[in-house]
Amino acid sequence: MTEQMIARLRRSPRRLLEKDGVPGPGPGSLSLVLARAGVGKTAFLVGIGLDALLAGQRVLHVTLDRTIDKVRDWYDDLLLELLRLEPEAPHPAEVQLAIERRRHIHTFLGNSFSTGRLRTAAEVLASHMDFRPDVLIVDRLELESVDPAEIRALRDLAAELGAELWMSCRTHREGPASRPGHLPPPADRVEDLVDLAFCLQPDGDTVRLDVIEDRGELLARQTRIVLDPHRLLLRPGA
Amino acid sequence: MKDTIRRIRNIGISAHIDSGKTTLTERILYYTRRIHAIHDVKGRDGVGATMDHMELEKERGITITSAATQVRWRDHAINIIDTPGHVDFTIEVERALRVLDGAVLILCAVAGVQSQSITVDRQMRRYRVPRIAFVNKCDRSGANPEKVAEQLRDKLGHTPVLLQLPIGLEADFSGVIDLVEMKALRFEGDNGERVVEEPIPADLLPRAEEKRAEMLDVLSMYSDELMEAALEDRATPELIHEALRRGVQGLDLTPVLLGSAYKNKGVQPVLDAIVRYLPSPLDVEAEALDLERDEAPIQLSADPDAPTVALAFKLEDGRYGQLTYLRVYQGSLRKGDTLVNVRSGRKIKVGRLVRIHANQMEDIEVAPAGDIVGLFGVDCYTGDTFCAEGIRVAMTSMHVPEPVVSLGIAPADAASQAKVSKALARFAKEDPTFRVRQDDESGQTVISGMGELHLEVYVERMRREYGARVEVSPPEVAYRETISRRADFNYLHRKQTGGSGQYARVAGYIEPLEEGSYEFVDQIRGGAIPTEFIGSCDKGFRAAMEKGSLIGSPVTGVRVVINDGAAHAVDSSDMAFQAAARMAFREAYRRAAPRILEPVMRVSVEGPAEYQGAIYRSLMQRRGTILGSTEDGGFCRIEAEVPLKEMFGYATDLRSATQGKAEFTMEFAKYAPVPAEVAEQLLAERRTGAALEEDR
Repeated sequence: MTEQMIARLRRSPRRLLEKDGVPGPGPGSLSLVLARAGVGKTAFLVGIGLDALLAGQRVLHVTLDRTIDKVRDWYDDLLLELLRLEPEAPHPAEVQLAIERRRHIHTFLGNSFSTGRLRTAAEVLASHMDFRPDVLIVDRLELESVDPAEIRALRDLAAELGAELWMSCRTHREGPASRPGHLPPPADRVEDLVDLAFCLQPDGDTVRLDVIEDRGELLARQTRIVLDPHRLLLRPGA
Repeated sequence: MKDTIRRIRNIGISAHIDSGKTTLTERILYYTRRIHAIHDVKGRDGVGATMDHMELEKERGITITSAATQVRWRDHAINIIDTPGHVDFTIEVERALRVLDGAVLILCAVAGVQSQSITVDRQMRRYRVPRIAFVNKCDRSGANPEKVAEQLRDKLGHTPVLLQLPIGLEADFSGVIDLVEMKALRFEGDNGERVVEEPIPADLLPRAEEKRAEMLDVLSMYSDELMEAALEDRATPELIHEALRRGVQGLDLTPVLLGSAYKNKGVQPVLDAIVRYLPSPLDVEAEALDLERDEAPIQLSADPDAPTVALAFKLEDGRYGQLTYLRVYQGSLRKGDTLVNVRSGRKIKVGRLVRIHANQMEDIEVAPAGDIVGLFGVDCYTGDTFCAEGIRVAMTSMHVPEPVVSLGIAPADAASQAKVSKALARFAKEDPTFRVRQDDESGQTVISGMGELHLEVYVERMRREYGARVEVSPPEVAYRETISRRADFNYLHRKQTGGSGQYARVAGYIEPLEEGSYEFVDQIRGGAIPTEFIGSCDKGFRAAMEKGSLIGSPVTGVRVVINDGAAHAVDSSDMAFQAAARMAFREAYRRAAPRILEPVMRVSVEGPAEYQGAIYRSLMQRRGTILGSTEDGGFCRIEAEVPLKEMFGYATDLRSATQGKAEFTMEFAKYAPVPAEVAEQLLAERRTGAALEEDR
């Protein structure tokens, strides 16, 4: 694929975080995506993962209580939709294969998730498959029931791997109110570990992405981004 | 008659190998009084379970060929197809799913949802078959039925509804608590034939109440009436059954029942659940293709008085000739009726009609819509549709995967020659995934199928059932060739050798076809090629695609467009245009960047988490693309796509890499281009083969 083609396909807001030619917020950072159930946290994170894959990076996508096929379908559907707009792109099967070789989906069922287990899995991937991720996505981990020390360990693991960490965080309509100057619960429990926090908000026919914490001030000038509500990507040409 | 149909259930029993399918079926036959004694798989009495009626199955303790049987339970007729558990035989499972309206998914209480269950579940989803789950082997050490129910959610994406709780577990397993009726059930008598209802033991009551509340929470989503009743604490069993029936038939819910078939516990409630929750033929929409209206889909009606439509879904050759298993979809099948085989157009007379019970049968006069019966004396293939005179519909074609492995066979002596031919003809008729062909170059007989074991079993059956001695060559992969870019052609075929000559010119282009194997597009304007020769061109292109010029494999994924040509009033003929098309294709093919495709299998390996690294390594060494991994407690499952060529002998290597603690299943996923070095190797083999041929 040509560079221009790749640039057109990369429509995740992650591309706005690019700095000095380095895609994404950079190794060791923790970015959190907050939204209520059903707004599209997983779709957004899949968009982040695909953006990294299109940029030639490696992605370890970790999810809880979901099948590999389900996550794979998310990626495939999104990729096929993007490729439909690029008639000159190579055959989708070729792009899919190239992407599959740079992506690993790891799912934890039941209550089997722990950072320790993830560390072991990452070590096995590195030693047996020479797979070292640039982006680590952890989806569906319930922040209210996790010890903040676990999140710190996760962030440390990402730093050791040289990967940026993206996580989803489910907020609750009925939950405790946000305290001024803090991230909404339950993200406030780990806010000292967070570099970037985004909030997905349904807004009429669109979804708004609000930047609610930006320690590195990567997005200082652009704090409200309008997304296509179907795929949670930047609109074409944005 | 409608009431009779309402009381029919067509059920498949599917599961991972060794989960106890045959044992459960055997108990069902016993409790419904179809048999009067229980024999176990690999039983000490040497008799073997009734459903495993083939000698080989008895010996290996696995079910290879489905056997159909009808039982009666609470005034309902249940047709049961016992399906094989090994993935190499999934055509059997798929056939059963095509004609059945519901299924019982058996899961092992210790091993839980295993790789084969995942494959079978995928197939059930493809045919939209509602299912109920039976968690078997609750008496085994390490049994954890509630965990298995959760795995149904996590691994298969079901919404499980636990209808029972175990009373004791492992060696103490003594019965179940029915959460709908809130009663304890124990199974007494020599073979558990007496179901005794008792109050729930006091120590289990709080847990039962908690689980019942959870069950009602889920079910309330499927019935407003139940939701109201549950809020007022007056949910009746009838309301619960109705909500379950609706949820199951909408494929939203999977009721979970518990037991130990081997220990004769918990089987009768499974029969109750089949009757209560799984659909009757009247609840299921059957679709056929109307051949009179360009294959437009039409809905069939389970009306016993409508014109008959029946599908042959299985053939068996036995003592009395060919036995055809049929599912009647519309009308009734009556002894003496005349039907038409839609494929061949031949009329048949319904002769001996039987209800099948494993290897015994009962003669009947009539079978209504929805029923499954056997028919003798009919010459047909699996998948043929039979209709009453006056209508021409075909049941939607079954999903039949293309065979991916081949091996050459030869009779070891002259006496075996005829036996091998007879056996092969029968197998090919019975099993659409088993193919036989003669290799033009070597003259060898080549059999193809879905995996090593699939073919091994047929070779073994030739030996045992037909007494044929067979020599077998190593398995070979079914490669394909395709093109990767457009190439134009303009070929003139001209020959003048005295008498009338040959003249034909075809021009156009070939290009990659994304879906499908071949498409022919006629863009000839102004009669450059006369209409009567367009078909000849098509035929010529098809013939050329049978053998690609790279390694001689069939060519697939090609669109041929013809847009110009020329003909001669005297010298042009069907043969001349066929020859021109063949040569035009060969000419363009070389310039269309041809490449070799190989079958790629979806492989799922499951084993203890500490062997994760060894499993990765074993797959990577085989050119595998790892799709992902799943951790569940101390176990892991790794999903990968691996070229079939690399999978020969994998079972042995995996066993040694994991001390026999991991197992795998595989099914065909797709055809994919081979890497350059493999292509080079195949091309070199082809060159060596051609040189040897020349020397001879």
